[in-house]
Amino acid sequence: MELDLIQDAFDRVSKKQKLSSSKTQQLVRQIEHEIEQAIMKMQSTENATSCPELKQILADLKNKLNEFSPMNQLETLQKDLNITLGKYVKVTEKSFNPDISKAYRNVDFDPHIVNQIIASHFYRQGLFDLGDCFISEANEPEAAALKTPFLEMYGILESMRRRNLELALNWASSHSEWLAQNGSNLELKLHQLQFVEILQNDSVQNALSYVRKHLAPNASAHKVEIPKLMGCLVWSGKLHKSPYADLLSPNHWEKLADEFMQQFCSCLGQSYQSPLSIAIAAGIHGLPTLLKLESVMAVKKQEWQAMKQLPVPIDLSKDFQFHSIFVCPVLREQGSDENPPMLMPCGHVLSKQSIVKLSKSSTRPFKCPYCPLEASVAQCRQLHF
Amino acid sequence: MDMAIDSAPNGDASPAAAPAAQAAPTSTARLAQLAESLKLEHQLVRVPLEHLKKTIRFDYRLAEREFTAVLSSVAEAADSLDSSSVDETLKQLSSLVTRLQGLKRKLEEGGKLENLQVQRCRARLEHLRSVADADKLDDWKDARLNRILVDYLLRMSYYDSAQKLAETGNIQELVDLDVFIEAKRVIESLRNKDVVPALIWCAENKARLKKSKSKLEFQLRLQEFIELVRANEHMKAIFYARRYLAPWAATNMKEMQRVVTTLAFRHNTECSVYKVLFEPTQWDYLVEQFKQEFCRLFGMTNEPLLNIYLQAGLTALKTPLCYKEACSKEDPLSQEGFRKLAEPLPFSKFHHSKLVCYISKKLMDHENPPLVLPNGHVYSTKALEEMAQQNDGKITCPRTGEVCNFNELVKAFIS
Repeated sequence: MELDLIQDAFDRVSKKQKLSSSKTQQLVRQIEHEIEQAIMKMQSTENATSCPELKQILADLKNKLNEFSPMNQLETLQKDLNITLGKYVKVTEKSFNPDISKAYRNVDFDPHIVNQIIASHFYRQGLFDLGDCFISEANEPEAAALKTPFLEMYGILESMRRRNLELALNWASSHSEWLAQNGSNLELKLHQLQFVEILQNDSVQNALSYVRKHLAPNASAHKVEIPKLMGCLVWSGKLHKSPYADLLSPNHWEKLADEFMQQFCSCLGQSYQSPLSIAIAAGIHGLPTLLKLESVMAVKKQEWQAMKQLPVPIDLSKDFQFHSIFVCPVLREQGSDENPPMLMPCGHVLSKQSIVKLSKSSTRPFKCPYCPLEASVAQCRQLHF
Repeated sequence: MDMAIDSAPNGDASPAAAPAAQAAPTSTARLAQLAESLKLEHQLVRVPLEHLKKTIRFDYRLAEREFTAVLSSVAEAADSLDSSSVDETLKQLSSLVTRLQGLKRKLEEGGKLENLQVQRCRARLEHLRSVADADKLDDWKDARLNRILVDYLLRMSYYDSAQKLAETGNIQELVDLDVFIEAKRVIESLRNKDVVPALIWCAENKARLKKSKSKLEFQLRLQEFIELVRANEHMKAIFYARRYLAPWAATNMKEMQRVVTTLAFRHNTECSVYKVLFEPTQWDYLVEQFKQEFCRLFGMTNEPLLNIYLQAGLTALKTPLCYKEACSKEDPLSQEGFRKLAEPLPFSKFHHSKLVCYISKKLMDHENPPLVLPNGHVYSTKALEEMAQQNDGKITCPRTGEVCNFNELVKAFIS
């Protein structure tokens, strides 16, 4: 993308526009001046009835105006400007893809679903006013229900921002079973942070009783962490000089807020990042390939609209990889329930259909396409990714 | 035709090249991908340009009109000096001066507006350049999502939301709120069953609408005709047809005949062919037609940007696995709404395996190869090594609960 080229072409437009605008205004002043001169001349002619003189003044005026012909000048300015504008338009049409809706399929997106998705996105980003404004303009009152869980989440996040962990701790303890099942030690981390807060801003005594109350009951699970916290007690007041100074870092608050958000969303059955933002990002990634594909297939419009699977892959980065896709290297087909991947004794993996094809009679051993080792069908086992 | 638009294989053929090349392609690949995505931004750059062109045209025509009037007035004064008195001539000339002063003021205002629009064009180009600033890339991407949303909100006429989002995202210079305000007036009047602003708009853009062979004006006239028939003003309707529909007759005979025939019926006719013409939905149809013409004139895409990108994204993400229960919640297609939208779209295609570890959610490739448990389940080396380390060399399959030893695992070679 030659942004410099585009910039240059536009600078020329800007120059020409300024020139055209100022010259036009100059023309106006010139005409005005000539007429005012004529008026003055007429007024200064003492003899009011001296027709030939007056006639001469007006004839002069008319000729003068014809001479420097403002109309022609105006037209020339406009023509020039239009040419420069036209060149700029051409440059943009060349540098950009002028019609990105070419690859669009004629399927209707249900506007209600789209509106729900947008409303949910706004609420998830914490933009509650905007979300409310949107659902009222879009006339989707039921979407207001989407707000509730995110209101709770942002409420907790807000209190965490103010260094108050009470709400977060309440949430973590009421969801402790779910958190444990999902391998998250959020509750512990919150307690740790709270402990350090108490130690810094309150008394050693209170910090100690905090550990006793919240962490001791589950001591066996926190074999590593509790001694560390106890160690902090020794340095109370000078924690920043202790070996545990990093516990004071404000990073912990940010990281914990993120982790909390992650667990909260996960508990709701939602993704951490807004699904709309992921889908759009995938679209931006994938659209150039789709447009290329469409232009190649341009003649077969029907095929484009009706296809059930793209004929070419779209290369998305690993951020968009949510599933394991197995493609048999022999038949180049994607794995499915009916055609699962099979592991051969040599360690290579082929689809079931490939193996059946290679073995022909399904009892005799066959050679792996990638190494000299032979295997029989019975020796191959199904893989689950 | 060469359809070799292929993606790189998942850690296979060139083991020597892979480790060294890992660092470089990620950044050059990213830059290339960003450059590709910039090419999609035609609308961003074109709309303020069209707006500028429109203002320039308007100012030019204004000057042209006034100049013509003034010059012919001078010529007339010069020729008719005999018949009019000196005073009259002086008055005439003075009025011309006043007129020119008025023109000067208007051109100054016009010039200011043009400057603003030039500035807007410039701001958009600068914004595109700023994508090179790696520190602010995330902000740039967020701004892009917001731009796409504002475009959708404006096209759906949700003006307040569009305004709010533009302010929140600080992207006022990058969206076309001002352009849509023009449309808002016309759309609201059409919703109030008033075609006049729409007709004025058509007159203002006559040349360009003619170039694109637009029938909008004709359709607006048809609707006015129908309204006259609805009000039982039959004579008025006929005169109206003679004056405003006849010029379009040559190219739109069938349509015109169909509408004019409504004269023979009443507005509450049961005859389906003509009943539909009296339905209020005709007005909705006019609104849609106007929106389409409007967007086309300003160089905007036919469909909202949101729909274009969403469709592309859903297709790129769509695999049969997305519709299963076990679909990861991080996948947008695990959500009901997205699933529904994606139903009529084609599935994405893969030429090479791309495997994701169930435990760590990371890619299982050359750097992190897949290992197979005795029960046939597969996980990444790194995840399994970590598990073994924390559990005395024992591996527990997260999906079946079966336990085995780390040394019972077998390497799988996936190309």
